[in-house]
Amino acid sequence: MGFQILNFLKPSMKVLVVILLLIFLTNISHSVAYSSSSETTMHTNNWAVLVCTSRFWFNYRHMANTLSLYRTVKRLGIPDERIILMLADDMACNARNKYPAQVFNNENHKLNLYGDNVEVDYRGYEVNVENFMRVLTGRHDTAVPRSKRLLSDEGSHILLYMTGHGGDEFLKFQDSEELQSHDLADVVKQMKEKHRFKELLIMVDTCQASTLFSQLHSPGVLAIGSSMKGQNSYSHHLDSDVGVSVVDRFTFYTLAFFERLNIYDNASLSSLFNSYNPNLLMSTAYYRMDLYQRHLEEVPVTNFFGSVMKTIHTDSAYRSRSNKNFGGAKIKMPLYQSSYDNERRILKNSDDEAQFNKLSTEEHFHGVGQLWNTILSKVNTFQSIDAFVCYGLVSMLPLLTVSTWLSL
Amino acid sequence: MAENENVTAKKPRVRPIVRLGIFLISHSNYVSLICFVSGIVALLLLPILAKNTYVSENALMPGSANNMLSTHHVSHANKFINDLTDSDIESHKIIAHYMSALDAEVTYHKFYPQLNQFHPLHFFTSPDSGLVSKNISCSSLGINVAGIIRAPRGDGKEAIVLVTPYNPKKVGPGEALSLGIAYSVFSLLSRVTWLAKDVIWLVADSQYGEYSAVAAWLREYQAPAFHEADIVNSEICNDSNAINELGQNAYSDRKLYGGFRRAGTMAAALVIKVAEQGNHHEDSLNIYPEASNGQMPNLDLINIVNYLGVHKQGLRIKVTKMFSLLGSRWLNTLGGIFESLGQIARSLNPEWKFGISATEYVEGAATLASSLYYQGLGVPTGPHGAFRDYQVDAITLEISPKVSPTKMIRRNEFILLGGRLIEGVIRSVNNLLEKFHQSFFLYLLTSSSKFVSVGVYMIPFALLVAPLPILAASLHADASKSTPQSTSSTEVDVSHKSWKWLNAARKVLVIHLWGAIVSLLPYFLYQIPNSTPTTNFTVWGILSAFSLLILYFISASPIFEAAPSQPEKGEWASLKSVTISTAFIGLSLMSVINFATAEIGALLIVPICLLARPLKLDIRARSLRALLRATCNLVLGFIALPPVAYALTKGAFEGFYGTNVGDYWNWVESLWTWNSATYLYVGIVHLPCWALCIHILFHPC
Repeated sequence: MGFQILNFLKPSMKVLVVILLLIFLTNISHSVAYSSSSETTMHTNNWAVLVCTSRFWFNYRHMANTLSLYRTVKRLGIPDERIILMLADDMACNARNKYPAQVFNNENHKLNLYGDNVEVDYRGYEVNVENFMRVLTGRHDTAVPRSKRLLSDEGSHILLYMTGHGGDEFLKFQDSEELQSHDLADVVKQMKEKHRFKELLIMVDTCQASTLFSQLHSPGVLAIGSSMKGQNSYSHHLDSDVGVSVVDRFTFYTLAFFERLNIYDNASLSSLFNSYNPNLLMSTAYYRMDLYQRHLEEVPVTNFFGSVMKTIHTDSAYRSRSNKNFGGAKIKMPLYQSSYDNERRILKNSDDEAQFNKLSTEEHFHGVGQLWNTILSKVNTFQSIDAFVCYGLVSMLPLLTVSTWLSL
Repeated sequence: MAENENVTAKKPRVRPIVRLGIFLISHSNYVSLICFVSGIVALLLLPILAKNTYVSENALMPGSANNMLSTHHVSHANKFINDLTDSDIESHKIIAHYMSALDAEVTYHKFYPQLNQFHPLHFFTSPDSGLVSKNISCSSLGINVAGIIRAPRGDGKEAIVLVTPYNPKKVGPGEALSLGIAYSVFSLLSRVTWLAKDVIWLVADSQYGEYSAVAAWLREYQAPAFHEADIVNSEICNDSNAINELGQNAYSDRKLYGGFRRAGTMAAALVIKVAEQGNHHEDSLNIYPEASNGQMPNLDLINIVNYLGVHKQGLRIKVTKMFSLLGSRWLNTLGGIFESLGQIARSLNPEWKFGISATEYVEGAATLASSLYYQGLGVPTGPHGAFRDYQVDAITLEISPKVSPTKMIRRNEFILLGGRLIEGVIRSVNNLLEKFHQSFFLYLLTSSSKFVSVGVYMIPFALLVAPLPILAASLHADASKSTPQSTSSTEVDVSHKSWKWLNAARKVLVIHLWGAIVSLLPYFLYQIPNSTPTTNFTVWGILSAFSLLILYFISASPIFEAAPSQPEKGEWASLKSVTISTAFIGLSLMSVINFATAEIGALLIVPICLLARPLKLDIRARSLRALLRATCNLVLGFIALPPVAYALTKGAFEGFYGTNVGDYWNWVESLWTWNSATYLYVGIVHLPCWALCIHILFHPC
């Protein structure tokens, strides 16, 4: 927009004016863009796109990688309808598989990754560059079912995990195609312009993974790769029973990190990124964070690998009567805050508030003294006048009942 | 040099490549010498230039899975061996019974032994089918037993073949052991869940030769001839009682099927043998890869066998080598020289690591020589050769136990060792997604883990044959230049020159025609009943000489000779020029068909081609150099005569004991039996070139 105006004005204006205007306009457009997309929108939901790009039996580990990640994000709360799982080959039913219909990522065979409830959205030759780009950009044929679409919005956090064989600035799909770093950057840019995400974490486990990120320049994108340029990513171990390598090192240590977590943990992204030991990985994990605004220490991993699933009540037509008071407080506070960090704290507070609300209604029947203590402790933590008033009103109720009982 | 300057002075804008060509031709003598010597040196350097082998195909993943073959399978195999050696029932029935007990599909394949017959028109064609002699009785029928395990979840489009040749008339201890090894693997494979390709176990009836049994089965598998099947199944020879018996008696074989059963395309074939003699040092494994006409299986197949043998089973892997070369002094000296050269190079720059130790060099050279020899021979070194005719990669694995199989105490251990190796190879091939294609098909082995690829071994050959066209061009130029000195009329001269060249070409053509006739003669000689190799050879030699004389007189008669009858001065030069050109063409063509033959042939024929010069001229010159050249010519001319060359090579590699004239006939017979292109090369390229060189030597100029 700004540039169009500039072009229109250029012939008639002096150079200096033009430059000044340019600076002015770009500043404005930037601030507008930022405020519109990343700053003001809420984190609404979580999506995961998990892609295994290579086929053939000897690439068993890539499918195991992807299925392990699938299991992890599902365990951490992203529901199946928000996971797009793309598997380029079917190892579970490969004739060479010693354990038919089972896939393992460890030689101890404790965990079958291909158990019940695995929904593969794109399988076999459907996994190609075209479909991959269609999924991300949302440019589907009308016949494509909803389950195969990435229906994210401008408040979505998306995890994009890819594994396969890669090289300098490319990732091989199916032994026949390549996804280049330009393609990836282009897709991400389109997604940004179509407001399909708020934050995007790209995690890639291939050789020379870091080269795949070199062309990215859309804000809100965080990228991590298993290896630097010129490095190989290695498999972690060989399952001599199945006869193939079953997991890659980077993914193995990522999973090891997540196995210690549950859905309520607040481990930060930086603790995940720092958990990669180059000696164990036999490559250097690389992360690109110059496009990402938040500090990694403050971002919990569950922002991408889990699902917040927080019910946010907006000023919409479906306003709930019973939650009117508290809901209003919740939605208003963030709007007045400029920093997201504050917003998050407040959200947390309002969470506590809701919890207290529940508590207070329950404990009302148990004992007045206990309730009073709770109220006191809670009240001390609140700055909100509205809430204070509300609690005051609630505390009046027992007084009222006692006085009516006495008067009878 | 003077002419060269003249040329450049007249036309200053001659293109560099033309100038280079002129330079080479004008110095053809030095160029030939340098090229030839460097060709020999490059050939001797090949063991040093050999690279280590590596498994090139990702899908193979040899040794990534644990062996599943257990002592349980081995004890079953032991029982099978005991039954086979002790029982009175015909052995093929026992085998079929054991196979069907493993839920394999079993079929008998009956075949007639292939007759050793020379079919001059059948070179390079697929092995013929349906040529069955009428007077073969039912007793001479061979019976192959084939068991097929279907991959439980495979698509049935591919198969791996195990072959164990055995002689039902007399099952030797080695053969019984090899059957036992195959049985143990087969019994394991019938229970595993990871098979993606069907497994065929072919027990080939080797009473008429291992190769012909396997070839007959393959012919039926790949190119069934329906009329032949009718003959086999006709009433006279139909011993359906074999099948019926099996169907009715205690061995109830529902899986036994009268017809021929197939699995999919063959991915690879392994022929398993156990050597009868004990090896005394340790268990070792011999690999025989050479198929007909020097075709080799994909190097990856050898690589996985080598990898599994060395790293998993602790076997010593061997490839055949020329043992006579190991002790040869000159080779050891040469190895020492190369070793010290390598050390000097390393002292100059530690990065240079091309030196290998003298013993390593000698070993490598001996293996390389045998690799060249067996490829050059064009005769398969085992039954695996039959598979190569259908583009199936196959090798023969001969396992030599520490002690001879007859007095083997630790038989179970040995079966376990061999079985695990075979299991590993099969599991690795089972992982394959496509045909073997990643690694080399054109290579020479210098040890089981080192190879010389086509890009390297082409160099010595190219250097050896490079002087031929250069010298031919130079001789042609000289010959056409030498004529105008006497005559003045240019028009006659031009026609005369061109005629002279054609005259030489005609002579060469006639001699090559003679070569073709000589190579066809054995076909007629073979019809003579009750002939010994010696008489055959003598008759062949006499007939060849006679036909040569006839052709010589016909071509020398005035009907064909339009030019003046007295021999011209430069005639021998133009004759030599044409001879060399044809030798060059012949060698180049042969290098495409069978490289090793061309390489050995070039070593024999190129020196005489380069040196040939009328003896009369040398004697007339009476200088020491001329006399030396004449002697060299005579010696080389003698060596290059095919029977002499054969006797010398055989003597060099195997020793001279018991060499007689008939051997050459036997050798030639084996060549045509195996449809070896080497036979054609000797008859149509080598022999005529040799005859022409001798003709030049005794040229009356």
